[in-house]
Amino acid sequence: MTTPSTQELLQTMQGASEHLSVNDRREFLRRGMSYVAGAAAVGGTTIASAASLTSNLPPNEPQWGRQLGTGVVENPYGMPSRHEAQVVRRTVPWLTAESISSISMSPLQDLKGIITPNGLVFERYHAGVPDINPDEHRLMIHGLVDNPLIFTMEDLMRFPSVSQIKFIECPANGGMEWRGPQMEALQFTHGMLSCCEWTGVPLKVLLDAAGVQTEGKWVLAEGADGAHMSRSIPIEKVLDDTLVVYAQNGEMLRPEQGYPLRLLNPGWEGNTSIKWLRRIEVGDQPWHHREETSKYTDLMADGRARRFTFVQECNSVITSPCPENPILRKGFIEVEGLAWTGRGTIKGVDVSFDGGVSWRPAKLKGLVLDKALTRFSFTTQWQGEPWLIQSRAYDDTGYVQPTLAQLREQRGVNTIYHKNSIHTWQVAPTGEVKNVQIT
Amino acid sequence: MFKSRKLTFSATLVASVAAGVISSAAYAQDYNIGAPASAQEIAGWDIDIRPDGMGLPVGSGNALDGEETYEVFCASCHGVFGEGEGRWPVLTGGEGTLSDDRPVKTVGSYWPYASTLFDYIRRAMPFTAPLSLDDQQVYDITAYVLYMNDIIEDDFELSHENLAQIKMPNEDGFYIDDRPDVSNPRCMVDCADPETMMLQSSLAGVTPIGHFVEGADAPAASHSDQHDLEASKEAERKASITGVEIVAPVAKETSAMSAAAIAGEATYQAACGVCHTNGLAGAPKVSDANAWSERLKQGTDLLITHALEGYSGSAGYMPAKGGRADLSDEAVTNAVLFMVESQQ
Repeated sequence: MTTPSTQELLQTMQGASEHLSVNDRREFLRRGMSYVAGAAAVGGTTIASAASLTSNLPPNEPQWGRQLGTGVVENPYGMPSRHEAQVVRRTVPWLTAESISSISMSPLQDLKGIITPNGLVFERYHAGVPDINPDEHRLMIHGLVDNPLIFTMEDLMRFPSVSQIKFIECPANGGMEWRGPQMEALQFTHGMLSCCEWTGVPLKVLLDAAGVQTEGKWVLAEGADGAHMSRSIPIEKVLDDTLVVYAQNGEMLRPEQGYPLRLLNPGWEGNTSIKWLRRIEVGDQPWHHREETSKYTDLMADGRARRFTFVQECNSVITSPCPENPILRKGFIEVEGLAWTGRGTIKGVDVSFDGGVSWRPAKLKGLVLDKALTRFSFTTQWQGEPWLIQSRAYDDTGYVQPTLAQLREQRGVNTIYHKNSIHTWQVAPTGEVKNVQIT
Repeated sequence: MFKSRKLTFSATLVASVAAGVISSAAYAQDYNIGAPASAQEIAGWDIDIRPDGMGLPVGSGNALDGEETYEVFCASCHGVFGEGEGRWPVLTGGEGTLSDDRPVKTVGSYWPYASTLFDYIRRAMPFTAPLSLDDQQVYDITAYVLYMNDIIEDDFELSHENLAQIKMPNEDGFYIDDRPDVSNPRCMVDCADPETMMLQSSLAGVTPIGHFVEGADAPAASHSDQHDLEASKEAERKASITGVEIVAPVAKETSAMSAAAIAGEATYQAACGVCHTNGLAGAPKVSDANAWSERLKQGTDLLITHALEGYSGSAGYMPAKGGRADLSDEAVTNAVLFMVESQQ
């Protein structure tokens, strides 16, 4: 039940003339066919008239039923249908100087379930993707250990393997929106996020083989790429759940994800999961390298900065409807979204349709796993009323996803990283969805 | 009686299987996988430096020598004074801005340790040819960047013995993560006052600096399109000041090129364009006919040799194959021909 005041707010929204942005226009053009068809169905008008639109429809036998298709191994490694060509990673070019040290986002608006297909996992490179011959790749473990060791890929795959479904998220996910909304699509507001089943060996097993000395409190993980990307990881995390991973979603890692070997720190900011992993050094203190001082530190309003901000805190977003998935028909609608927390397991998700005045529990569906994407659902009816739709997740530590106002009050607007606040989509009476913030 | 016989049978079975087929539990955990890493192997890969100086190679350098090295390897991206070109990182200035509305995070204003500078330059710079500098060059460049930030004098001899003692201005500006820092109760009704709620729509040009830099107001779909867009906007801005008419760049018709040059375009786009589209590291831009006319006088063969083997001159620095050792000689040659024939 909404208060009259909320109703007024929503009516003001309704009255506002909505001009489509460039991105919205592109999206509506892409969806033009189904949009028109939907309008025709709802309104009873006969806009769609061309024979080509109906020739494959009942009662006609479609064209593909009257001929043969392609045979086996036409595509030895299969690809999605050509009709899914719009489901791709995208970048925001003005974020970075060029594409070699840059980031792309996963198309969350098009994904189902909780697993991100390998070709759609978001990319983050600091010196591009190296082309590594696995026969010549080595993992070295040294430093404060009794037995410095070198492993081949064959060695690593002889260890008993473990497979775990975990999300990876860049801490800069949403970082463009501390001062206000400016990304006009879900892919750009939340797409630095993916979730895979990862297979590999616990780093603890490898460190046990090397024999960590008692002074060993931190490890340095380093990549074999041109950036020789490096991060310091506390030994407590390593002994808890850090993995050395060589496969994702059933096949060897994609080059973009660190082929042939990467680190995986479940629930921690993605850059700590060093890709193209070649070296682990055990030390008694952190290294304070560039990616843990100049970058990936969180500048507070007072000019001081937090460092080693490892955990990705509890977060969620509605993926349908969203700017790329406008509401096309009145009537039944399943509001869906994703929730995740780096501290453990999603306990529940609430949704609001009035900008956070009132909340109702959503249903978690499918697998609910530790440090994995978790899908939530809320079924309802939409009759063209304007919505300010939000999701709010909470995890098994009791932490509840905060509002943007709360984060800004604590941190200011210059931290760049770790913006996990409740997100708002504005659903217009036309079914269009826009990215807005409520302050 | 029956129960105890069954137990006896099971125990016997387990014992016989263990003896004949599978190892005991303790032995199974003794993987004995992997080879010892030799001191020589470790020395080749152990490149990291720590704030306490651990890992620093024996050696020294200074800003006076570092200036020229910096200008050859660093200035094309980071600017002659460390001011940063385009979206490449700014290295100098920004002191006292960290609590400003628009903080400028640089080596001088933000970085807590000088060791990080040496470590990062050695492991990752220059961008197009990581790990190509020798220790002397890294010491010189490190000293020069510290000097530009007024942290050391220009004649200070920076060495493995004194680098760890350098106190950076913002060393005490960091503290360990203290999250969770907010507590949001799980309220279900009357959680916000609609009377005071404000709806904010998209803002333009407010992206945080640093990781994200303010950009164009109409983002293009790719980095090269974005460069073109910004170049045309800059041309318009200059034209509005100078009154000079804008001449649209004429794209070279590839149909007039040799087969080798046409074949080289893909390599150019994938490998060479990083520098040769925007002039990084002093690279002649493909669109800059003046920059090419002088070079072409030396003959195409010499340009190909420089591309294959590397070249360092007054204008800039060309790593062998642009740092892309994986490219074949033929691919690099074709890419050079593409750039050369784009001038004709």
